[in-house]
Amino acid sequence: MSVSVDVAVLWPALVPIAGLVLVLVADLVVPRLRRVPYAIAGVASIATVVATIPGLGLGGGSARSTFCISAAAGASGASGAAGAVAADLPQTCLWQADALTSTLQLAAALAAAVCIALAWPGASRRRPADATSEPVEAVLLLAALTGTVVVAASRDVGTWLVALELATLPVIALVALSGRRSAVAGATQLLVTSLVSFALLVLGVALWFAATGSPFLTPDAALSSGRAQGVGWFSYAPLGPGETATTMSGAAGATVVAWPSVSAGVLSLGVVLLLAGVGFKLSLVPFHAWTPTAYSGASTPIAAFLATVSKVAALAALLVVLRAVAALGTPALITIGVLAALSMTLGNLMALRQDDVVRLLAWSTVAQAGWVVMPLVSVSALGIGASATYLLAYVIGTLVAFAVVAVTLRERPDGRDLTAYDGLWHRKPWRAGALVLALTSLAGLPPGIIGLVGKVVALRPVIAEGWVWLAVVAAVNAVIGVAVYLRWLRGVITAPEPTSADEALPVTATTAATLATEQRRVALAGLVVAAAVLVVVSVQPDLLLRLLG
Amino acid sequence: MALTLMLLLPLLGAVALIAIPGDESRVERGIALGTTVLTALLAVVVVTGRHEIDAPWIRSLGIRWHFGVDGISAALVILTALLTVAVVVHTLAGRFPAGGSGSTFLGCILLVETGALATFLARDAILFFIAFEVVLVPMWVLIRSFGDDHVPDERRSDAAGRFVLFTVLGSTLMLVGILFLVHHQGTSDLTELARLHGDGISRSLETAIAGMLLLGLGIKVPLWPVHTWLPPAHTVAPTAGSVLLAAVLLKMGTYGIVRLVVATVPNGLAALSPVLAILGVVGILWGGLACLVERDLKRLIAYSSVAHMGFVVLALASGSDTGLQAALLGNIAHGVVAALLFFVVGDLKEQWGSADLSTVRAGLRDTSPRLGVVLLVGLAAALGLPGLVSFWGEFLALYAAWSPAPDRPVALLRVCVVLGAVGLALAAAYSLRVARLVWSGEASGAAAEVPASSTAAGEAGRASTTGAPTVGAPAEGVAAEGVASAGGAVVDARGARWAVVLTLAVAVVVLGVLPQLLLGVSGPDAVRLITGAGVLP
Repeated sequence: MSVSVDVAVLWPALVPIAGLVLVLVADLVVPRLRRVPYAIAGVASIATVVATIPGLGLGGGSARSTFCISAAAGASGASGAAGAVAADLPQTCLWQADALTSTLQLAAALAAAVCIALAWPGASRRRPADATSEPVEAVLLLAALTGTVVVAASRDVGTWLVALELATLPVIALVALSGRRSAVAGATQLLVTSLVSFALLVLGVALWFAATGSPFLTPDAALSSGRAQGVGWFSYAPLGPGETATTMSGAAGATVVAWPSVSAGVLSLGVVLLLAGVGFKLSLVPFHAWTPTAYSGASTPIAAFLATVSKVAALAALLVVLRAVAALGTPALITIGVLAALSMTLGNLMALRQDDVVRLLAWSTVAQAGWVVMPLVSVSALGIGASATYLLAYVIGTLVAFAVVAVTLRERPDGRDLTAYDGLWHRKPWRAGALVLALTSLAGLPPGIIGLVGKVVALRPVIAEGWVWLAVVAAVNAVIGVAVYLRWLRGVITAPEPTSADEALPVTATTAATLATEQRRVALAGLVVAAAVLVVVSVQPDLLLRLLG
Repeated sequence: MALTLMLLLPLLGAVALIAIPGDESRVERGIALGTTVLTALLAVVVVTGRHEIDAPWIRSLGIRWHFGVDGISAALVILTALLTVAVVVHTLAGRFPAGGSGSTFLGCILLVETGALATFLARDAILFFIAFEVVLVPMWVLIRSFGDDHVPDERRSDAAGRFVLFTVLGSTLMLVGILFLVHHQGTSDLTELARLHGDGISRSLETAIAGMLLLGLGIKVPLWPVHTWLPPAHTVAPTAGSVLLAAVLLKMGTYGIVRLVVATVPNGLAALSPVLAILGVVGILWGGLACLVERDLKRLIAYSSVAHMGFVVLALASGSDTGLQAALLGNIAHGVVAALLFFVVGDLKEQWGSADLSTVRAGLRDTSPRLGVVLLVGLAAALGLPGLVSFWGEFLALYAAWSPAPDRPVALLRVCVVLGAVGLALAAAYSLRVARLVWSGEASGAAAEVPASSTAAGEAGRASTTGAPTVGAPAEGVAAEGVASAGGAVVDARGARWAVVLTLAVAVVVLGVLPQLLLGVSGPDAVRLITGAGVLP
């Protein structure tokens, strides 16, 4: 047995780690640095974006693989031949990055870069005795990014679990570090949730291993669930991939000597537990309770990080499992349909009642998570691609909305109230334009074409499975969603009352003067980058869709 | 090329207008007027030359940038382009509605035009859906921000929200239907779907798809039980918004039914045609009865729209090519007539401050004969007077429903025809009621002294504004509002606004005398559409 390592393929994971080490070293040499760690983190995430680009052009099921274990000696690493259904290949790779994976990695890295820009620290600390938390924050951000990048490409249960936790745990610390009292409550809730989620994930992984006898999250491992080699309590049942379908349906063939249907059942249970575990991180109902508390407790950039990078990590992890299971030709998963319907409905209804924009975005995340997993009712390439597409549309829209909130918060302390955005169109037309585009994109209305296309894409697999009830629930939720986002937009486009404008102006002037202009400029740059991406994919949605094949 | 330019021009104009932060300066007026006039010219070129464009857009979804014009859409394209010019001219000739900068207002009008033109021209089902959605946000802004500033903010918000939410529900249900259709037929090209004509789908599935599409599009039309968004939206919307809503947006619903349901799932439509006919007739009667007691003039015209669209739906339920022709003609007729009525009523409301019919006012006959005459023409058209454009749509609709396609329930449709005829009588009753109250001012007979004082005030108002027709517009409004409290005299239409309403009135008469102008355009394609021979762009 030999393991081949191809460093070139690993750059997307190595770059943030290198940045992380660099921050630590810098902090060791010159403590109390404030902006340098953030600069390093920003450069590292942008470099990660660049590192993922070679993987984007891969088409037709080819992937950049490394850490390949093969029985034969001297197997080449980045052969680019490990296809999605290459069951007959003699090697299994622990790292596989195809176009979909690379796109998710790119989205995570880009979102992280924008969040770092939004969180850019000021030149002077508030009190001279304050400890500098910036290097710690930079390290945690990069660690979470690394986890996200790795989990998307991982193909074995060990890496998958560790990477998923690596993507989650630093964020808890980041929430706690936000400093406010409510942040601790949010972080505690997030921590408890993560522990439960981790327990479910471990159990799910254990069941996966029990059912398949393979530590790999690959299609051929899933296909081997009938054979169950190396697991003590299942007898040997020589089933080929072709016969597995009959096994799944429960009608055992003559050659099956013992409980293949039990094995399939264990596999299904494992997948459902993994879904539940990831559901916590995606904040699907009924695993959503932490979301509003954590978001409103954290500072806005960290909330943005939670809403974008963490969601990419969670969905990427889920897709790794589901792509393996897709080879089984599993019938549509009713669990996912129910979770999606519940998340959409509850999330939208609660978002309708929020007056704090961060809480509104938190509940909107819950609702959008429902839309993200809805296409997965069809466990197929179509469903998986659609889910990833919707996730990216959501990430871009949410990122821009959070960026607008963060920039506004730098100018006026009440920037989290819905009323702070009244008349924004007249005060700051460009920023209001970005917000309009982001919110309409989340609502799925033009001019946010990408959100509209996302809804079309997300509904297609549901239709293909013939699930009318879910499609109708989604249609009704599209309406409630529009009500949610238009409630925010209503204030944005209305002309301000003369009196309120007069009150607002001096406040804006004084606070803007006290805040460092550089801090504001960097945050604005983050907003501009995110908004530019949103505009580009709204004009030509194909750019985004083609990345995902 | 001309087609792309025609779609891009209003879009770019809108972006420019919205991006310019300033107020209604000369530049913005120029941009708005220039783009709409150019777009209208291009629309004529596109329709006469039967232009088409077909380019890849979203390759991975198989959605093409495919626009083209045929006999079904030709008249609607022209109507939309010309009416937008009329709306812009009408807006520029008077006061901008309060609630925001004038350039935003004009930009929203142009965005609605873009969306409507794209909807009528789209040759791809999903592209149709996307274009269908484009009009929502600008229309919402028009109602929400620029709506009637005499009503409390909550009512504006309620009307605008109701409009958006109902329409989004409709379009999302339509999307579900479209996706089912596209999934089972394997193509989203409308020409191809029309050629398949429902082949390869089981009858029950076809019915389900038709049901979903009809429910979705029925909200937009609006069909009877789901029409409740229309009256508040019309009441609150500014004149420009009302005209676009009635003359353009409602047409998108019926056009969608023709394009998506009649052409692609004919058997499903046949199965549902009894329901459709009944809902259409209930709409006719409901709208007519509501008009008899409605006190707000704009609401009244909104209800009459529900009644008129009921005729269009009844015609579609008949399933014959005459029915389709009647529906298309009725569509255009309602567009022209509703636009005319809303222009006139919008003017009146602007000067009266409200459109409440129970307020005693002097008759238009005495105070402003020009507005009075065009209002009469509009009302006469609304009651279906022979020789005016609405007559043909409604007469043909009843005729087609009396002798429907062979697979339709004849007895039921004939009952519907009888009830529809009762609806025509109701239309006569409410039209004459409005004419009596507004045109001849008979309600004011009770208070004998009012006409005298109001006529005098009207003279004063006229005298104060003869010098500067455009510059004096705000003064005109102020004077008129002052007068309205005294007795409701109205400064007569003049200048550009007079030209707009006069043109529409002439169009009502000309198209009524020569309906073959419209029938000839849509005839061949309507036959091909109903038989499934495929509509060639």
